[in-house]
Amino acid sequence: MKRSIIGNQAVAYGALAAGIGVAAGYPGTPSSEALTELLHFSATASQRGEPAPYVEWSVNEKVAFELATGAAWAGKRALATMKMSGANVAADSILSVAYSGTKGGLVLYIADDPGAEAGMPEQDTRLFAQWAGLPVLEPADPTRAYELARYAFQLSETCELPVILRSVTSVAHAKQEVEGEYSYEPLGRQADFEKNIFRYTKAGAVICMDQHRDLLERLKTAESSASKAGINTLQQAESGDLFVVAAGALIPYVREAMSGGNHNELSTLFLESVFPLDTQLAGEMFEKAARILVLEELEPFVEMQLRSEASRLGWRGTILGKLDGLFPRVGKYNLETIGRGLTLLAQGSQGDSPVPASASGGGRAAKETIGRQSTEQPGPAAKAATALNVKHPITFCAGCPHRGSFMAINRALKKIGLNRDNTVVTGDIGCTILGMNPPFHTCWTEVSMGSSIGLAQGFYHAGIENPVIATIGDSTFFHAGIPPLVNAVQHGTNLLVIILDNGWTSMTGFQVNPGTAGQFQAEGSRRVEIEGIVRGMGVENLQVIGPFDQEQSVETITKALQQEGVKVIISQTECALTAARREERALIYRIDSEKCTFCRSCLRETGCPALYVTANGGKSKHGQVMAIDPELCTGCGLCSTCCKFDAISQKKLGG
Amino acid sequence: MMQSIFMTGLGGQGIITLANLISSQASDRGLKVTLFNAKGMAQRGGRVTSEIRLSDNPRQEFGARISSGFADILIGMEIGETINSLSFLKSGGMAILLDYAFVPTTMLLKKEPYPTFDQLTELYARKTDRIVAVSEAQQPYNMFLLGIFSAVAPDISPELSFFSKESLEQAISKKLKRGLEGNLRAFNGGYAHGQSLLQHV
Repeated sequence: MKRSIIGNQAVAYGALAAGIGVAAGYPGTPSSEALTELLHFSATASQRGEPAPYVEWSVNEKVAFELATGAAWAGKRALATMKMSGANVAADSILSVAYSGTKGGLVLYIADDPGAEAGMPEQDTRLFAQWAGLPVLEPADPTRAYELARYAFQLSETCELPVILRSVTSVAHAKQEVEGEYSYEPLGRQADFEKNIFRYTKAGAVICMDQHRDLLERLKTAESSASKAGINTLQQAESGDLFVVAAGALIPYVREAMSGGNHNELSTLFLESVFPLDTQLAGEMFEKAARILVLEELEPFVEMQLRSEASRLGWRGTILGKLDGLFPRVGKYNLETIGRGLTLLAQGSQGDSPVPASASGGGRAAKETIGRQSTEQPGPAAKAATALNVKHPITFCAGCPHRGSFMAINRALKKIGLNRDNTVVTGDIGCTILGMNPPFHTCWTEVSMGSSIGLAQGFYHAGIENPVIATIGDSTFFHAGIPPLVNAVQHGTNLLVIILDNGWTSMTGFQVNPGTAGQFQAEGSRRVEIEGIVRGMGVENLQVIGPFDQEQSVETITKALQQEGVKVIISQTECALTAARREERALIYRIDSEKCTFCRSCLRETGCPALYVTANGGKSKHGQVMAIDPELCTGCGLCSTCCKFDAISQKKLGG
Repeated sequence: MMQSIFMTGLGGQGIITLANLISSQASDRGLKVTLFNAKGMAQRGGRVTSEIRLSDNPRQEFGARISSGFADILIGMEIGETINSLSFLKSGGMAILLDYAFVPTTMLLKKEPYPTFDQLTELYARKTDRIVAVSEAQQPYNMFLLGIFSAVAPDISPELSFFSKESLEQAISKKLKRGLEGNLRAFNGGYAHGQSLLQHV
């Protein structure tokens, strides 16, 4: 059966075809749709009374991985999903579990983002996998994502190790027709966990060193097993000593470039099992090769393994890659990058000069490489386009409650003679970080999940005199914000923590989190209230505000800023987008063009996307007035709190 | 035959809907098709792009992403974002450009000049002489542009004639039940506009 699906969905169906018993994850672009699809499949199947795996959004990636591990140790097949930054959160457990290995197939799906299209570090998970000592499969496209997801469980059981299935944005979000089963049959295994402290604890040097030996043995099994399964392919041209090595997502582009460029003289080694290195195929290549071109995005991972193997074998040819400065480690490769590489390989050693990164990479490093490349001067049209370049900064949606929270923080600071440029406000991961953007300019930092609260304590103890404010979203608070808040309470730190609670994990696509209202929780799950957690930690100074009530919000924040000790304010209103999906709007706001003086205070303070400028006369001397798009307005009323001329008023809808 | 179609604009303009209609039409036709939507920031007013690649050769190998200089067709729905996408269009490729600007708040406040439609078309004219400049369109714009695409498709390549008015009308009726009448009206308006442009060329 064929369906048109994206790579992430393909991973989900591959895992279902492998008969997983459990799947858990934490949302993170570009990985989220894998678990979303499994949740959807599972809920639908359960409703029909058909068998389904247990699937959940866990509180964070570490818990998701541990949950999957427990299930796998009990003999079931289990999947954990996350983005690369999430693997950092789960790292402590991933590295420890690597030494113990697994019994049931355990697959860790991690999505990387070369080109940082989702705006997070260009972290290369393959290096992390090597550190942990875990095999890595890297699918070329959604079809292979399905096949390799399914195979990964088999490999995991053969070598008794968790297997990392690593994809990148260009595969995770690419849609194509994928041949698959699209069904689920449980494996019928009974849960059974063997009591074995030598394998499942780390108590004692003997245990730990034995486990280290076991891990290295298992990696050898992984290598020979993947090699026998034919995951990697070596294709030798009739009489050539020129080889192209390409990994994972680049394979289809290399095929495309080769078919377009008549490169019949080139042999290829395509790798989708990238760690451990397939020394069998690599050895066959080194026997024939004089020159090897290595094509892979981000770090020179395959290249380092090949150079090391070449050195071990005493091979004396040339490897063209990143370590010789030819190819960029920053950004995506495009067909031009690949085409230049193929030409360099075919032409011989003369004129090996740096190949520029993808034009969409844009950043500083990319420009430097292009700058060194005389043939790569941007044409006049490209220069003209750069001169006209404009950016649409992302901002809070119309009706977003976070807008109210950041407006209230800025107003409260002003009220006590402070401002956003002399008062440190730490930001955190998720929609709430948009408080760093115009017109708010409130947040000073963004590091990692939960870090707003930890960093803020450092600023206080360093002796920053003005009050320090930490801002964090609800899901981020559950994920990693609880330990730093406990720390602040224990040590009596002077700190104001504002939890911006919109009830959903919105930035990644409105996933359910522990604080989501009970009616939206999965069957058998319940809501965990932030208020109860915070009180339970021993926070006595706790207030709950509604950010659309600016008077109350500003007053509460102002008061808290002048008090000693740990203060927590929960700023609570549901995400405007999830609410709009269910409820019809009762009212919106409109601007009276006769009263509007075009002072633009509303725009300057709210930056609301529903506001626009219109030439619709009015009495403004500019011939322009502000207006509100009635389609976008949700009726939050924040703009009306900015207007000194009483020009913004409510308008009832319907009835 | 292999064609790469790059679409760009802002969240809320219906680019993903447009891309889904075009790609599923090609897919239903039995072509090998890939679609890549970058819509992560769509709901927060950010840039949206859709990349479609299609081939009538089932053995043709290609990746889902369009490299710069490889788009045969570029559909731009917002002036600023379309300027930012110039590098994707192949020299001599077909550009369908909409006169619609969304000026970000920061620029509204600083009263910075925003690029104009004339600047956009002049810029693209440096790269191609096949430009459809759409200065008057019916809402929803995505359907109007789909209509234009349908009208000019055979002119881009005879092998794209399957994006016919009738087949796309059927697809719209099947897939966009909400606001169907308005969608069809805009599509037909776009189709007529596209046809009139062809007659002038």
